[in-house]
Amino acid sequence: MLTPYLLGAALLVGVPALLSLVLAFIRYDGISAPLWVGWFNFRIVLANPVDLLFPISLYNTLYFIILAVPIRVLSALALALWLNRRGRGVGLYRAAVYLPTIIPDAAYALIWMWIFNPLYGPLNLILTALGLPAPGWLADAEFAKLVFVVMAAFQIGEGFVVLLAGLQNIPPEYYAAAAVDGGSTWQQFRYITLPLLAPWLLLLTLRDIILSSQNIFTANFIMTNGDPYYSTLFLPLLIYEEAFDRMHFGPGSAMTVLLGIVTAALIGFALSSVGNWGETDAD
Amino acid sequence: MRNRLINFGLLMIVLLTSACGRGNTTEPVTFMVFGEPAELKAYQDLVDAFQKLSTDIAIELIHIPSQGDYRKRLTADLVGGAPADVVLINYRNFSGLALKNAFEPLGPYLEKSSEIKYEDFYALPMRAFSINDQVVCIPQNISSLVTYYNRDLFDVAGIPYPNDSWTWDDFISAAQALTLDTNQDGSIDQFGAGVEPDFIRVAPFIWQNGGKLSSERTLTLTDPLELEAVQWFVDWQVKYHIVPGAVEEKAESSESRFMNGRTAIYFNSRRLVPTLREITAFDWDVAPLPVGGSEFTILHSDAYCLTAASQHKEAAWTFIEFVNSVAGQTIIAQTGRTVPSLIQVAESDVFLDPKAKPEHSRVFIDVIPYILRLPQQANWSDIEEICNEELQRAFYGNATVTEAMQSAVSRALPLFTENE
Repeated sequence: MLTPYLLGAALLVGVPALLSLVLAFIRYDGISAPLWVGWFNFRIVLANPVDLLFPISLYNTLYFIILAVPIRVLSALALALWLNRRGRGVGLYRAAVYLPTIIPDAAYALIWMWIFNPLYGPLNLILTALGLPAPGWLADAEFAKLVFVVMAAFQIGEGFVVLLAGLQNIPPEYYAAAAVDGGSTWQQFRYITLPLLAPWLLLLTLRDIILSSQNIFTANFIMTNGDPYYSTLFLPLLIYEEAFDRMHFGPGSAMTVLLGIVTAALIGFALSSVGNWGETDAD
Repeated sequence: MRNRLINFGLLMIVLLTSACGRGNTTEPVTFMVFGEPAELKAYQDLVDAFQKLSTDIAIELIHIPSQGDYRKRLTADLVGGAPADVVLINYRNFSGLALKNAFEPLGPYLEKSSEIKYEDFYALPMRAFSINDQVVCIPQNISSLVTYYNRDLFDVAGIPYPNDSWTWDDFISAAQALTLDTNQDGSIDQFGAGVEPDFIRVAPFIWQNGGKLSSERTLTLTDPLELEAVQWFVDWQVKYHIVPGAVEEKAESSESRFMNGRTAIYFNSRRLVPTLREITAFDWDVAPLPVGGSEFTILHSDAYCLTAASQHKEAAWTFIEFVNSVAGQTIIAQTGRTVPSLIQVAESDVFLDPKAKPEHSRVFIDVIPYILRLPQQANWSDIEEICNEELQRAFYGNATVTEAMQSAVSRALPLFTENE
């Protein structure tokens, strides 16, 4: 039954990933004959003395991941805890949380461009009406990256559903027993909910790290294209520009390999930080 | 039985005839273009006109609206080994691809042609699309950077229209007078001017001031004359505030502001005309650029290229021949989009008709002797991208002109020798 998925993953992910790895060691512009250059592409990307676009975009990408991933996972957790109950309107709230996730990326980017329009956008109109300073958002290098974090913080529908399912998997008897023993709400959360949700939270965090390192492309491409002055140049966009605009497939592939290594390092860091969380599943 | 045999024979003849012809009902010549809806319509008209003349060559039009996306699509198609047969390309992106032999040189085809001749075209765009004196693509237009202005706003302010003796100082004075905070709320409601702070916009002013932009192996933007010109351009924003700042531009582009009648002067090429012709709310016209030391402006030109990977080169050339004939260029010129590269069409009423806006289309012809083109360099589009980023940094007050231009020069330096 798994065969079609394995075949699809091999053809659409495995083979291109392998080709990217090979391309990272080749000088290739898509038209001229390819030329084996060894580690040259990595040296160009990592040690270019005058053009620091790779380190800049790596910094931007890490900034985004480090801010967006915890916000997304914690927001999903908070909302799942809040909406894990019966009552009037709960279904509507759950749908509202999930809704931003199903909006196509391009449309989602356009909506936020309007919200963050520095002169005519509703956000700055409200801030101005409240007498608060209205930042330039996407026009200001200081705030532009934050816009992407804010946008990402609202697309938590999948994580929310997963955590809601996880919460509903916890037998209510545990809470009843804790209440009889005089356990406070915080203690119930700390000693029952959190340990039993830990594997789900870890799974979501790892998934979010991978997702955040790649999925920012569409919004990045549509909303800023890296401006102002590379402050929103994230790695997926740089890789795309390098390969498909400048036809530098070698350095583009080298960056892809490096992005994979950085993502793996972040996952390794996340795993080592949480100890054996992922293995304490309820049994 | 005999009837059956006759029918069978006729059927075979029909099948064989259709198979032997150039009948491309299954394999059309693909023609990829970029441009706005008005331009797409013009290209469709062009294809339709060709189909009326030549029924045995089918043309399939592929349209990509944005020029940036178009460039990426073309690159991806070339890499995939299956580009369209005929593609439209800007001369600033041409060299990099032509030097990699992505295009079939059209010089030999042109020499044999009975429809079009080299001498029929303006020489400048022909040279821009040649490599080592060999014509590679056939230019469609010879546009340049000019001054668009809102006549109504000039009339209200009582300021004379821009003309061919307009100086840099005249421009600044007029733009200052036309920059207004109409409701006195502290923010500008009408800007005197608008411009994309890109390298191709500042380049003519650098030339006007005696600069060269680049030598063979480096940019020369740190030369005092060039710095002076860039500083003057940057001052439009940082000193005189006659153009939108970063926040205002992000909120609404200068082009949109001009279209909405809230910017008096806008610098652009002929590209803008089809869109401007839709304006009914105000009157507008065109003038040459304000003049510094000299009168230079910058070439904007696109060409039809035959891709080297094309499997239908003869049929594709027949189409290129048509689109660059008087009939073909007339169809495109009627949209207002192009300054025709064919001298005969450019000098005709099709282009110069004063009833079709802009009234002074002749400006585009009069400036031709003063048009310069950007260097033909394999990595020019990458170099230009770096210059754009650095220029914008200075234009929006985040770096000094000297810092930005020094950075542009040092960052672009490796690109001059990368392919050696």
